[in-house]
Amino acid sequence: MHELGITRNIVAIVGEAARGRRIVRITLELGALAGVEARAIAFCFDVVARGTAAEGAVLDIVPLPGNELSIKTMEIEEAY
Amino acid sequence: MCGICGCEATTAVDHDRGHDRAHEHVDTDGRRFTHVHDHGHDDAHDHARDRRHLAPVLPPRDRATVSLEAKVLAKNDSIASDTRVWLQSHNIVALNLVSSPGSGKTTLLVRTITEMRESRSIYVVEGDQETSRDAELIRETGAPAVQLNTGTGCHLDAAMVAHGITELSPADGGLVLIENVGNLVCPAMFDLGERAKVAILSVTEGDDKPLKYPHMFRAAELLLLNKIDLLPYVDFNVLAAIAHARQVNPGLTVLCVSARTGEGMPAWYRWIACQTSRGRTPVLA
Repeated sequence: MHELGITRNIVAIVGEAARGRRIVRITLELGALAGVEARAIAFCFDVVARGTAAEGAVLDIVPLPGNELSIKTMEIEEAY
Repeated sequence: MCGICGCEATTAVDHDRGHDRAHEHVDTDGRRFTHVHDHGHDDAHDHARDRRHLAPVLPPRDRATVSLEAKVLAKNDSIASDTRVWLQSHNIVALNLVSSPGSGKTTLLVRTITEMRESRSIYVVEGDQETSRDAELIRETGAPAVQLNTGTGCHLDAAMVAHGITELSPADGGLVLIENVGNLVCPAMFDLGERAKVAILSVTEGDDKPLKYPHMFRAAELLLLNKIDLLPYVDFNVLAAIAHARQVNPGLTVLCVSARTGEGMPAWYRWIACQTSRGRTPVLA
């Protein structure tokens, strides 16, 4: 259940960093012990991203050991 | 024939290829006339994204990869860290009590407050989805309590608890007991600024619960096995439960208690007495 709130955090963090540019791809590192379900994040992402700079972006979730839960990189479209 | 609309006019000039497709014809007798073939948008139809009408053909935008290295829970963790620093500066111990619903957390709190309040000021942060029933039960003991309702939320987060503690304004050297929302999943991963998480498992639940919900039992420092007065009536294997809990968390301390009868509770009070805001004293008194 907490994946919805976590996905909102992810979209808020990338949205702030993108400063109005469109986000194309997000790479999230997710540890096996982080207590977060990758499929639930993926399920929430499309809904949460709608109407934000991350709408339509590809979310790559990289599984890792340990309890990592961080956004590694994002790919953005530069403004003209 | 007009190549756009197929009408019989001989010459078509000034074809405006705008959306309404208005265009002008010169008729056989030399008269000019304009007519509109407005196809309107009565038939709703989707356009693929970025294929707006008459969109100029643009070169692909440059893409850039931005390194973020951002912890997703950074905001929660930073608030929790501020709470922890404040608690330490006031020598206040905060414990985060986590369990499934119905394990006896509130009963345990009521007995703990009643039996410890001579020696220590105790404050309670109550987390539930709805109602202030638990906070009212706690207040009946005389201890200050604040009720946090999470609504649809499944756990307390650091910001809510920081507000709760501010409202309670505990005295230096006090003990803050945070009763989390009854849920063995979500509260495991949210740091509230507490000194330790204390998991409560009652013998009316399955003794394999630590294996089925490993994150919570891994996050906890102490496991209270509650309702041991009911052991004669239930199929609960205490040794198996402890073995399962230590399988996911080898360093876990386990105490068997009954919050209803008071059996085993003094060991829990001694465990609390050994906690300081910065850690625990090495030897149990």
